[in-house]
Amino acid sequence: MLLFSKIWKTGIATELLEPRDPAAVAVGRDIERAVQRLLGRALAIREVDAGSCNGCELEIAGLASPIYDMERFGMHFVASPRHADLLLVTGPVTRNMEIPLRRTYEATPAPKLVVAVGDCARTCGVFRGSYAIVGAVDDVIPVDVHVGGCPPEPTDILRGILAAVDRLPDKKASSTPDGTRTVSS
Amino acid sequence: MTLGAAGLLLMAVGFVGGGAVAAVWPTDRGARAVTLAGAIAGCFGGLIAAVFSMATGRPAAAHLPQLVSSAGGIVLGLDRLGALFLALVSTTGLLAAIYGASYTKEYEGRHSLGMFGLMFNGFLLGMSLVTCAANVFTFLLAWELMAVTSYFLVMTESDSPETRQAGLWYAAMAHFALVLLLPMFLLMAPDPNATTFADLRLGARILPDVARDGVFLLALVAFGSKAGVVPLHVWLPRAHPEAPSHVSALMSGVMIKLGVYGLLRVLVDFLGAGPAWWGGLVLLAGSVSALAGVLYALTENDLKRLLAYSSVENVGVILLGIGAGLILQSYGLPALALVGFGAALLHTVNHACFKALLFLAAGSVVQQTHTRSMEQLGGLIKGMPYTSAVFLVGSAAAAALPPLNGFASEWMIFQALLSGAQTPQPGAAIGTPLAVGVLALTSGLAAACFVKAFGITFLAMPRSDRTTGATDGHWSARAVMIVLAGGCVVLGLSAPLAIGAMYRTIDAVSPIVGPVAAGVNARVWLAAPSGLARVSPVLLALLLTSIVVVVASTLRHRGLSLRYADTWGCGRIHQTSRMEYTSSAFAEPLRRIFSELYRPTQDLSISVHPESQYFVRSITYTSHIVPWFEKALYDPLTGAIKKLATWILRLQAGSVHLYLLYVSMALVAALVAAWWSQ
Repeated sequence: MLLFSKIWKTGIATELLEPRDPAAVAVGRDIERAVQRLLGRALAIREVDAGSCNGCELEIAGLASPIYDMERFGMHFVASPRHADLLLVTGPVTRNMEIPLRRTYEATPAPKLVVAVGDCARTCGVFRGSYAIVGAVDDVIPVDVHVGGCPPEPTDILRGILAAVDRLPDKKASSTPDGTRTVSS
Repeated sequence: MTLGAAGLLLMAVGFVGGGAVAAVWPTDRGARAVTLAGAIAGCFGGLIAAVFSMATGRPAAAHLPQLVSSAGGIVLGLDRLGALFLALVSTTGLLAAIYGASYTKEYEGRHSLGMFGLMFNGFLLGMSLVTCAANVFTFLLAWELMAVTSYFLVMTESDSPETRQAGLWYAAMAHFALVLLLPMFLLMAPDPNATTFADLRLGARILPDVARDGVFLLALVAFGSKAGVVPLHVWLPRAHPEAPSHVSALMSGVMIKLGVYGLLRVLVDFLGAGPAWWGGLVLLAGSVSALAGVLYALTENDLKRLLAYSSVENVGVILLGIGAGLILQSYGLPALALVGFGAALLHTVNHACFKALLFLAAGSVVQQTHTRSMEQLGGLIKGMPYTSAVFLVGSAAAAALPPLNGFASEWMIFQALLSGAQTPQPGAAIGTPLAVGVLALTSGLAAACFVKAFGITFLAMPRSDRTTGATDGHWSARAVMIVLAGGCVVLGLSAPLAIGAMYRTIDAVSPIVGPVAAGVNARVWLAAPSGLARVSPVLLALLLTSIVVVVASTLRHRGLSLRYADTWGCGRIHQTSRMEYTSSAFAEPLRRIFSELYRPTQDLSISVHPESQYFVRSITYTSHIVPWFEKALYDPLTGAIKKLATWILRLQAGSVHLYLLYVSMALVAALVAAWWSQ
């Protein structure tokens, strides 16, 4: 009863949404079409934090927010690489995360799309040379697309995902039946 | 001499000869071979007699009136119902004996195999004779032979205190049943010298109602305690696991079924239709047994105890069928009652098949790993592929999954119970749907229970080094298990034919049940005459197979291929068996839901580093469930008996003078009594 009276008294307590970023919506629609054509279902994404400062994670979380709401474009985060089409890797690869990252890559079914998000994932950023760092994501697993920025904006991440999805036909052609890729990019 | 009588003779000679020769054979190896030879001969004899009796419909009979003539002599007569159970005893006995020949090899030098052989053959003889006994003396003699020999078989590994404890419980409960059987039979006998079953049949018809109720209650308690009906089941989960595994298979698969045999013999054959509350009481006993059995099985970590509790559950399911039959019979619906009795009988046969299989497979596991605790097993599917496969088949049958045999009989019991809801009487119309709910819950929990039994024992990584080097064992043991697994499949697929045979068996015994209704004799469909629903195991099997084939060929057509990879463990560097699901953990949610029944006690002790409480050195967690039935029912009883015994002990004070006084008092009393009677 208390609950209902509270609903009645309080009313709607959210603020109006700003007009959305039309560029993000356009990219999202592109992804939706491409994924629908190539996979015929939603795109499953597994996020791997290989040692990031969590700046990129904030932006990725923004993708799932009401502003960007990527699920409407047919993309969703999954809890296991076994279910994933695409890996979203952030941060320089720390020593502790090297083997887990490799294992995640191995556990992902072919064709394994990999998007490295953020400057650190490409160049190790300010962490370069640290004793705790193995190297960029590229040094550990093959990367399809790099998304620059520190941190990149959600729209940039969406563009990166779109670029990776566009590579799907090539990757399917070049991967062997047992899931190992013959051509590395 | 008919073929049936010749079969009975071969049966007796085989078992007695095999047992006696094994007992005096000088070497253990030879004793094992003689035990097997005697058991094979005896079981073949029993099978011949059973098949003869079932095929011709004429009873195979034998009389030895000279033997203990004052009690009526030995009278054997095998009718259809007895023949069905004799076939069950002989078939399972034969397979268990073959399995046991290799299983008992490791007892060589540790236990007397000659004595074991004597008891094993005596056990088979006792069970076979129970099914063909045709007077009270023979029945009780065979019943006692079965109880005593199986007691010694349970006590094979008597060097452990648990086994001795189990033996004590078993002996006490078995004789409790015997004490009740004697007055039950004598109540029915028209006069003390007429004790053949034919006389009892006549005597039961002219009994007053109160005496009939007394016979019913005595039969339910006496045979119920043999069958393992809750709350008389306490001996079962203790004794069955302690026995050697092929003996467990016989005890769980066949011996407790003789309790069902006795119940059917007295209720359906002797007494006939009774008041509706008989059926209600049997239904209640069945519901409690089925639910309590499966709930205790779920929390059990001992593989063989789990199977024993599952037997309690299945006996409950059988009683649900019998109870439905009794209720429908009392309301004058013989065709529907036949479905209840027939389904109960079919489940009896089916349970014998899959439970013997499961116990033998569990026996192979125990033989290889020397532990029954599932917390120490795991990963056995790699070393024991055959055993795992047959255990999976048995588990699926026990979980009542189509198209295996457990499904067919539980389906028919559902039909019988749902038919009860159509009866006009409010008691039956409310009671039977409740029993349907209990049976549905039981089936679901049984499925969870066998997911646990199979998954924890055979899948994932080994939980201890006991499983290293485990193999499938001797080829003969493997062959026996494969035959039983095949039996589960064949019985499942041919269930419509099998249930017809069960109907005819009951119909031949019970004069109450009228002509078999049309629709009962269907060859493809499993359905009750009430026409609620029907299902065909063969079509179901075809459907399931075609689904698998279609999915597999579609995947192949799409070019998807198999990839072998490690289990995904969140990218961990080391994966150990400590990260696996344990048997206790699997049952934990249900343990919480049903905590009223289990009353779990929990003890969590964490020891930390002396410098900082954040460095945990070890965590110990123990949890026990309180055996409710033992506490509430048996503890006061055993306490009272102990008190009484201590009180009586005063008579035996140890003084010679006192004993001389007793002697003289007895003498005086005898003289007075003699004088008085003149």
